Amino acid sequence: MILEPITYSGGIYRHEEMVELIEDLGGHIIQRQVIAGDVVIQANVPREDIGILKEVAKPLLGSITISPLVGTEIAVVSMSLEIHHLPHTSCDVAEYLRRYGSKTNMVGLARGFGKRIANLNVEERDVINEHDGAIFLLGNFEECIHYKFPTLRRGIHVPIVVTGGPSTESLKKIIDPPVEGYVGGIGRLMHRYRRPEELAKLEEIVAEISRVLDVRRAEIAKDPLSINPPRLMEVIKEQVSAIEEVTSPTPITVQMTGLRVKLPYETYAGAIRDCEIEDGIHIGDIAHILPSRMRNYIIVRIKPFSETNIVV
Amino acid sequence: MEALEYFTVESPEPLGAEYYRRIMGIVLQDLDLIKIISRLHVYIDPKVPIFVAVGVIKKLPSFIRVRDCGSVKIEEMRATISIGNETYLAPLLIMLQGKFGKDQIDQPDRFTVIITSDQPIQADIEDMVVTDPSEGIYRDLIYAMQYAAPEGFKVRQQFVSKELFYYVASENTLDDAMVRSLVVEKFALMGVRYDP
Repeated sequence: MILEPITYSGGIYRHEEMVELIEDLGGHIIQRQVIAGDVVIQANVPREDIGILKEVAKPLLGSITISPLVGTEIAVVSMSLEIHHLPHTSCDVAEYLRRYGSKTNMVGLARGFGKRIANLNVEERDVINEHDGAIFLLGNFEECIHYKFPTLRRGIHVPIVVTGGPSTESLKKIIDPPVEGYVGGIGRLMHRYRRPEELAKLEEIVAEISRVLDVRRAEIAKDPLSINPPRLMEVIKEQVSAIEEVTSPTPITVQMTGLRVKLPYETYAGAIRDCEIEDGIHIGDIAHILPSRMRNYIIVRIKPFSETNIVV
Repeated sequence: MEALEYFTVESPEPLGAEYYRRIMGIVLQDLDLIKIISRLHVYIDPKVPIFVAVGVIKKLPSFIRVRDCGSVKIEEMRATISIGNETYLAPLLIMLQGKFGKDQIDQPDRFTVIITSDQPIQADIEDMVVTDPSEGIYRDLIYAMQYAAPEGFKVRQQFVSKELFYYVASENTLDDAMVRSLVVEKFALMGVRYDP
């Protein structure tokens, strides 16, 4: 069964029918947001059943769209949090990726600016490595990107997409060894993206990130995970009642190979490790429960089948 | 950016120069500085790296006086100012309170300021200086350059006179002689003779 990431948006009236249908079809709800009278549901559903969902959504005046980034957490890396780099490019990119279902976290580097002085510290590196991918928003000059990028990428092992002022071809030429994705022509700006060609660039970024993550998905499929991350999320939601009290919009963030649980590690790591999934298999058997570098959250890294010999 | 007589951004990387032309244009527009700059030449060399901006300042408006803020009617020990232009109302009130004392100044409504004094008020009250607009403008000018220049260029030299200004920034220590020759050279490109 191949699961397709989708977004359902519609009214709050009778949306429970859609929730139940997704669950009955064997899909997983990743996030449900109720905003006044509207509801937005992000879910993974079986590809062959999307037609049924569209049929059900029609009388509810809702819409189903394919969102390739649902179930991913992406780091949007800005060279600093100064007025030079924020808000325009960074916020526009982060916001646009969210429209396609991704959960984005903005990582503002303490010393990412400049040419010779650019640096990446250990904490920033670890935070970026907790994500499914990172998008680096670089500046306008080839010379600077060529000089500083090797420093900025040091120790990062998640797929990287680079954006910068020079053209895509120039970026490919100056970045060595190559990264997973490039989008040129989108450097430092002083205004918001509003012209058609600028919006087209944002589309290009979404397409590039989707392509990079699809490659990663194909790699994961060769040695599948012991459990589907959204399913693991449901298990934790059922058994760890404290998650209900977390006020964050996504108390559990779904990633491609794990989860970020927004509960303190010291208090809840044991409880999560001991959750039973089925037939005596506990979460601790099929996943690493690790402390996150982001606040004191918990990172759950699901082990692949080859390591556990279990698929639940 | 049509308002400038001369505006060029020069760089060994033409695409980078084009981006910075747009950045500089937006910064000057946002800070409302186009009206005070007549010529601007920006040079960015990412190899060094260095950022140089040299420019010519238009003749600035002179002091803002009480008569520029509104009309004054003097009746011996009492004067009424009917505010015509609210832009400098706050500095006007501060100036009057400093001069006559806080208790003597009353503002019964938005557009009226009444001064009551224990001595006859002189007719030259209309010529009193409220503020010098150039003070803030010079500050804004340097802020604009800092804002537009690539971030991280923290080592800088700046100069503002009544007619000319320059701003040089880098992340490395700046050599005085090099800065001087670069500035003179860039002023010369605009047809301005600058003698440091």
